[in-house]
Amino acid sequence: MRRALIAMVLWMLALGTDCGRKPSAAVDPAMLKVFEPLPEVVVASYGSPSEELIALGRMLYYDPRLSKSQQISCNTCHDLNKYGVDNEPVSDGHKGQKGDRNSPTVYNAAAQFAQFWDGRAADVEEQAKGPVLNPVEMAMPSDKLVIAVLRSIPEYVDAFRRAFPKEKDPVNIDNMARAIGAFERGLLTPARWDKFLKGDAHALTFEEKAGLNAFLDVGCQVCHSGALLGGNMFQKLGLMKPYPDQSDPGRYGITKNEADRMVFKVPLLRNVEKTAPYFHNGKVATLEQAVQEMADYQLGRTLSRKETEAIIAFLKSLTGEIPLDYIKQPELPKSTPRTPKPDLSD
Amino acid sequence: MRRKGILAIVVIVLAAGLQLYQPERKNPPSNPAASFEAVARPAPELADVLRRACYDCHSNETKWPWYSRVSPVSWLIARDVQRGRAHLNFSEWNRLSPQAAQQKLVEACEEVRAGQMPLALYRWFHPEARLAATEVDRICAASKAP
Repeated sequence: MRRALIAMVLWMLALGTDCGRKPSAAVDPAMLKVFEPLPEVVVASYGSPSEELIALGRMLYYDPRLSKSQQISCNTCHDLNKYGVDNEPVSDGHKGQKGDRNSPTVYNAAAQFAQFWDGRAADVEEQAKGPVLNPVEMAMPSDKLVIAVLRSIPEYVDAFRRAFPKEKDPVNIDNMARAIGAFERGLLTPARWDKFLKGDAHALTFEEKAGLNAFLDVGCQVCHSGALLGGNMFQKLGLMKPYPDQSDPGRYGITKNEADRMVFKVPLLRNVEKTAPYFHNGKVATLEQAVQEMADYQLGRTLSRKETEAIIAFLKSLTGEIPLDYIKQPELPKSTPRTPKPDLSD
Repeated sequence: MRRKGILAIVVIVLAAGLQLYQPERKNPPSNPAASFEAVARPAPELADVLRRACYDCHSNETKWPWYSRVSPVSWLIARDVQRGRAHLNFSEWNRLSPQAAQQKLVEACEEVRAGQMPLALYRWFHPEARLAATEVDRICAASKAP
């Protein structure tokens, strides 16, 4: 009993010990262990994709004929010239229908441990089929129509044969997804941050290093770790304080397990400066608001303006270079009279 | 003397009033299949060490002591548990990629090796959570497993 009372007093004295740290640019190398540089390649389960497979995937990524209206391609919502997003809260799909969730960036996404906000696809190959057949996105009614479009275009048939030389009948939905995934595996944006992690202490500015320390002090790396600073775990949105918008139950929608309510994949932070608006619902317009709300709901911390600015300075060092040659839009093969026509019905 | 009596009454009333404000101490729903034990299948000895020393703050199976019902200590304990779960939760191990899971164990190893965890106050209060060197080694060995 006496011991308990003393402990209670000591516990109270312990309160507040984590406040009032001043920013510093001296980064403790031990704190960097939770991060890794961006990999040079994101290997698929089947091995390294061939150039032919990547070239086919690049064409498919840009081809709006994979949608019912023949107006929407992967690039419409995941614009490669805009860091892989469309900067809309939620994207416009077939006939202007709104999606449920914010379109996440496709850059570096292949290196995540799961795809979609709720992680329902294991890799980019599995993910690639989703939007094509989703009725509010590209809205193709069936695999058959997708295949009919591709088979009606001889150049595509040839490209599939080159990409899958061992297969007799390579034009199918799985191979389409594999090709798009192969292309996406090359969408990597190394940044100054990677040079810093590899030992170049001057790759980040004083402000960015002070911001990194603020990021670490606040505890953002608990979830935003690894090579992508995210994309390697699920987490409940509203860990310390319930998130006000409970309309999307997150992973619960897939698993129907109560423990997964409001659980989402932790989004990656690379290029976060360029991928507004934020969160699964796209309701957070600025990075400042996103950082403050994350600290509040996930860590129970109210950030000062200085802390917020410091963290944002660090986050900006994660902005990489868009691989302009790799994403150069190829000339798409022409349709033939056999190609199904655009369908603007619901 | 009279002033002291009034002060004592005020303190008692305030302390009693504080008891009306209690944090939530409910353990979140748990899915046994999602736990560290189900996902990582540790040796029983390791599972036992973690349960003894870590689970009160780093799982959804917290055993709330009596003093966790006394404000304001209740708030501080609830905060520690909430933060502990946010950092590392053995009941939700299936939320981590294999790499992230490994990293969490590496961090756990470093924390216990450095004597940072379990927290000194918790150790003092929970003698069963004091880790022997062999138990620290056990946690660290797990962090190195492929």
